[in-house]
Amino acid sequence: MNRIYTFKTILWTILGFGAAVGTARFIYGLGVTTNLSDSVPWGLWIGFDVMGGVALAAGGFILTATVYIFRLEKFHGIVRPAVLTAFLGYIAVAVGLLFDLGLPWNIWHMIIFWNPHSPLFEVGWCVMLYLTVLLLEFFPIPAEEFSKLNKLRNFLLKLRLPLVIAGIALSTLHQSSLGSLFLIMPYNVHPLWYSPILPVLFFISAITLGLMMVSFESKFTSWLYRRETETDLLAKLCSAARWVFLIYIIVRFGDLAFRGQLGHLGGGEWQVVMFWVEIAITALIPVILLSIPKIRIAPVWQWIIPMMSIFGIVLNRINVGGLVHINRGNTLYLPSLTEITISASVVAGAALVFLYMVERYKIWEKRPADPNTDPTKIPEFDFASRTSLGTPEVALRTKYSLAFILAAAVGFALLSTENLSSAGTESSPAKEARGWETMWIDGDLDGEGTAFPHAKHIDNNGKEKSCVLCHHMNLPLDNSSQCSACHRDMYLLSDAFGHDRHASASGAGLKCFDCHKKDLTKNADTAKPCKDCHGDLVAEGSTITVENYRTIGYVESMHRLCIGCHSQKADSLEKPDLPRCANCHKEKRTIISPDAGVHPHQYGAEKDNVIFPIVSYNSEQPPDTTNTGSAVENSR
Amino acid sequence: MKAILTDTTKCIGCRECVIACKKTYNLEEEVPRRWSSDDGLSSRNWTSIIQKPEGKFIRKQCRHCLQPACVSACPVGALRKTSEGAVIYDSKKCIGCRYCMMACPYGIPRYDWDQPVPYVRKCILCYDRITQGKQPACTEACPTEATIFGDRQELLGEAHRRLKETPDKYIDRVWGEKEVGGTQVLYISDIDLSCLTYGRPLGEKPLPTRTATAMNAVPYTFVGMSATMAGISWIIGRRMKIQEKPGDDQREDNDE
Amino acid sequence: MQAWIEFGQGPLFRLCFVLMILGLIRIFILTIIGMVEALNRNTDKIVPYRDLIQKTLMWLFPIKHLWTKRPFYGLISVLFHVGLLIVPLFLAAHVLMWKNSVGFAWFSIPRGLADWLTIIVIVTGIVLFLMRASSKAGRALSRKQDYIWPLLLVVPFITGYICSNSAIGPAAYQLMMMVHVYSANLIMLMIPFTKIAHCILVPLSQLVTAISWKFPAGAGDMVIETLGYKEYPTWVKKPRLETPVELKVKEEINAE
Repeated sequence: MNRIYTFKTILWTILGFGAAVGTARFIYGLGVTTNLSDSVPWGLWIGFDVMGGVALAAGGFILTATVYIFRLEKFHGIVRPAVLTAFLGYIAVAVGLLFDLGLPWNIWHMIIFWNPHSPLFEVGWCVMLYLTVLLLEFFPIPAEEFSKLNKLRNFLLKLRLPLVIAGIALSTLHQSSLGSLFLIMPYNVHPLWYSPILPVLFFISAITLGLMMVSFESKFTSWLYRRETETDLLAKLCSAARWVFLIYIIVRFGDLAFRGQLGHLGGGEWQVVMFWVEIAITALIPVILLSIPKIRIAPVWQWIIPMMSIFGIVLNRINVGGLVHINRGNTLYLPSLTEITISASVVAGAALVFLYMVERYKIWEKRPADPNTDPTKIPEFDFASRTSLGTPEVALRTKYSLAFILAAAVGFALLSTENLSSAGTESSPAKEARGWETMWIDGDLDGEGTAFPHAKHIDNNGKEKSCVLCHHMNLPLDNSSQCSACHRDMYLLSDAFGHDRHASASGAGLKCFDCHKKDLTKNADTAKPCKDCHGDLVAEGSTITVENYRTIGYVESMHRLCIGCHSQKADSLEKPDLPRCANCHKEKRTIISPDAGVHPHQYGAEKDNVIFPIVSYNSEQPPDTTNTGSAVENSR
Repeated sequence: MKAILTDTTKCIGCRECVIACKKTYNLEEEVPRRWSSDDGLSSRNWTSIIQKPEGKFIRKQCRHCLQPACVSACPVGALRKTSEGAVIYDSKKCIGCRYCMMACPYGIPRYDWDQPVPYVRKCILCYDRITQGKQPACTEACPTEATIFGDRQELLGEAHRRLKETPDKYIDRVWGEKEVGGTQVLYISDIDLSCLTYGRPLGEKPLPTRTATAMNAVPYTFVGMSATMAGISWIIGRRMKIQEKPGDDQREDNDE
Repeated sequence: MQAWIEFGQGPLFRLCFVLMILGLIRIFILTIIGMVEALNRNTDKIVPYRDLIQKTLMWLFPIKHLWTKRPFYGLISVLFHVGLLIVPLFLAAHVLMWKNSVGFAWFSIPRGLADWLTIIVIVTGIVLFLMRASSKAGRALSRKQDYIWPLLLVVPFITGYICSNSAIGPAAYQLMMMVHVYSANLIMLMIPFTKIAHCILVPLSQLVTAISWKFPAGAGDMVIETLGYKEYPTWVKKPRLETPVELKVKEEINAE
């Protein structure tokens, strides 16, 4: 198996899944595609994509400083990949941010609307400027290939020192300012993480992360392309990183001691465990391991230590970014699969561009080759269609794009219906059906509805006994409540219970412990069942069972009720036409029988099969203005 | 500076304030959703009544801090503190970063999670009404004068007067007088109101000052870092030149 | 069985539909990239765009062309395509399905028209198959998929027609519905990978031919003369350069 081919196929597949989820996110909004909520407004996309991403891209400014400021020429060989990583890393951050922002098309507002008091404003500006600097630093590399660009390239090379200095200064600012973002939340961030010197801690950890990222990336690509590893250089990097780790540990614990928070460390909360895990894999273990020279040059440990430390610092960013925030409103946030998919596909996209760049341009001294693109390779044949896939290049293009679209299609198929419909659909209140003998069912009042022979159904199904077949649940003091009383929205879920209404003094005026048991968590499961008070709420002999207090949308409830019954009857009555759509939705779905209790529109009076515009909407129900509880309220 | 004083001992939990608010701003009906929190506030409910045991009610709304954390946090200045004291929102500027929601110590701003084009929503102290000389819809609707509108100094005086007059009835504290630099929505109460801050005691230091130190250091850091780097570069370059023997051009760095 | 039908209308439908759309876009882009590469390799880079556009348009609306040459085939083919496009998209039941699954809908055609179009598609599809199978030249040019496609395309139309019109038992109805849903999904799945991809590649086909005609320099000349034309057809611009090979070939032909 070819490593590069496998790896790239995986990346394209992830990208395909990301495309599916990303489309859903932009069409249906953040609510259904993430696990974010009013209590947890920031999640994985900020913690990992943005804060982690910026820190991961710190290698660029550290290595340019090492080589061009401190003139340590031996590191020259790994400057170019580091700058490339930084450049792509920052682009990935920007792309990840576009997914997270509610109004991503407004991102340019930061350029014209200023609020210099905001750390986020400063981060935004620094990232924009640093991206420009990185572009100018990186541009000479691809420009080597084009002789036309020589003049521009030489000019940029002359500017290199100022660019490098500007890059370092900008990086210092925004790496630390990412920490400043959280200074304004002293009451949210757990005291083990919150500190007035968060910016300093962020800056130091960014340096270690940059160094570790450079070594990891060098190890990984040398494995991928079967390149020679720069073992000596990496050992030197690691031994330098050791000191930064040490500084980080001292500052971190010194800060805790200074703020008098050391006492927290003995606690048994999960945050404390998290703290120890984080600091151990970030710095404590690496420092110990790296101080042993044998381990420093051992290839296995050159894999393990960077990965451990990278994971630790990214974990730190995710922790500060929201995970260890003291919970508001008892909601636990775990990133949803869709969020993870987007994060992964942003990384996958950056990795693909990276691989393209190293194969195309002179990033390393020796340009690595993808064995698939070897021009002397024999053309491949597709087994299925028995056709030639063409030259290796064309064959790869065919396969990767196939992996991408297959993944995207599977991604769309796997998105749950909740991801695809419940948000983005605007709330559209359902209106009750009118008439009695023949009912006119048109919940959204768009003029197209269904004429439902109500009287006929009653006659055919056993007179009074038949009511409960449809009117499965009634408002108090009622025995045939309208469907729209509980199924209040055309498509969305509604609340049939109305907690506030039950609890408020003007409503039922119940105390907490009238329904909830003492000493138990107050939720729906532990509360008293409705029928304890409302004996007549669920009609006796009802065929439809009520599972919880959330009702399905009006359209779905109609469909389930009618189609379900009709398909049962179709079997027993040998009337196959019964469950068909056209049975109720006749031509244009607007046929009204002459005895319908609806006044036809004056212009349409003489014709059959015309749309009857609604003349007037007659409702006893007052427009509902309170948030919940109208189900109970209406009955009073 | 205008203010609202809510006396929880007078509140009967009738929700007229909630209804008035929803009517004034044409807010849609609330559907329980995954992302709603249990305090009743949402992008469609800008104020809510929290019920406490023994028939006590607390009205929750934006506190309109004197030095609001959300205003200082917003990177594009979409949130603004007006001269009347209302913290208002400009949806045209907003980029949707939700930093204001993170920054608010009271957890007030809410988001349109179910919209493809979402905005931040919260109480704006009926800014357009108070500029016309009217009072906010909620205080106007309150039948028991549990929540009243007026000048902040006067209302503070009124609050202290009530505390002094009937000390048995109240806990001796005006919530919002000093917390996070003071707020314009004040409470006096006979029960503990720490539920409004999720049980976390807030200090008196205004939150924006906490970032101000770091933000003030920005220009100095930039200049300092640039100067240091330039200096180091110059010194090392010079040292290398001195070490080099004449005629040795190996150091010429033109491979990149 | 109901569960299988629902699966076919839900996740499986999404899979096949998205695969169809993305697959068609993919094949379109890959074709264009391939053409650009071929054009870059060619020595003769002249492409007669105007004539190509005219020819493409003529084949997109081929009534006139087919009428003069093969009127019966032309009529059948056009009818088949029209029904094939209109019924799946604008049948009232399908529109309703879209409205319920993605929340938006468009106009629908009357039931009577839909029924007639369905019958037309079924009949013309079978006729097309028979025409291909009965003609000697047709058989010689056909691959397996050429026989399978007209029959496969007709399957959902037949089952759909049965489901909506004739009275059959409920069990048979469900079976028909299942065949209907799954055959339609299979068709969508296979469209981008078989010859039905011509639904998006039609605008490119003339261009592909034009470019591949001139692979080696002078190849166009050779083909033209082999086909027995005395000179270039009006829609081909004569290449400016005549390579040594071309001149040699011409000399040989002249000598003969």
